[in-house]
Amino acid sequence: MASNISPAAFDKEQIFGMAEKEMEYRVELFNKMTQTCFKKCVDNRYKESELNMGENSCIDRCVSKYWHVTNLVGQLLGSGRSPM
Amino acid sequence: MDKNIISDLDNFPEEDKQRMSTMADQLQIRDSLRMYNSLVEKCFKECVNTFYRKSMTKQEETCVLRCAQKYLRLSMQVGLRFSDLNQGSSTTDK
Repeated sequence: MASNISPAAFDKEQIFGMAEKEMEYRVELFNKMTQTCFKKCVDNRYKESELNMGENSCIDRCVSKYWHVTNLVGQLLGSGRSPM
Repeated sequence: MDKNIISDLDNFPEEDKQRMSTMADQLQIRDSLRMYNSLVEKCFKECVNTFYRKSMTKQEETCVLRCAQKYLRLSMQVGLRFSDLNQGSSTTDK
């Protein structure tokens, strides 16, 4: 199987694999951020369907801090590379 | 869905661009279905607490709709902020 693949094709496969993993990571990061900020910022009595002023401000700050934490933990783990 | 990766592929041969685009599409479909499932679970847990009857009460129904709409609006806003952070643009604190 592997012997049938030329070196160039193998490199291409690796690149595609990495690109796919990177896409998946970004989507996962976005989902976790969304779920976390929903839990922290949204009043769960659901008195109306619009986000109120307090909720909107909280969301902006929550995203910013979540991003910051992601970078801090990333550095601590020695990846040396910020998430995208 | 972030399309940054794809926009960088202008130099790639058509075949590879197509493949990357297919990957992104499949990921988007998977993500949408996953979001749908988690939204149902979340709003059900928050809004439905009594089981005296099979049918939903008006109050439960209203709660579910508001829960879902708030989540979708929040998701949109997070998406905008997420894009800002990815571009590396500085954010003024407020």
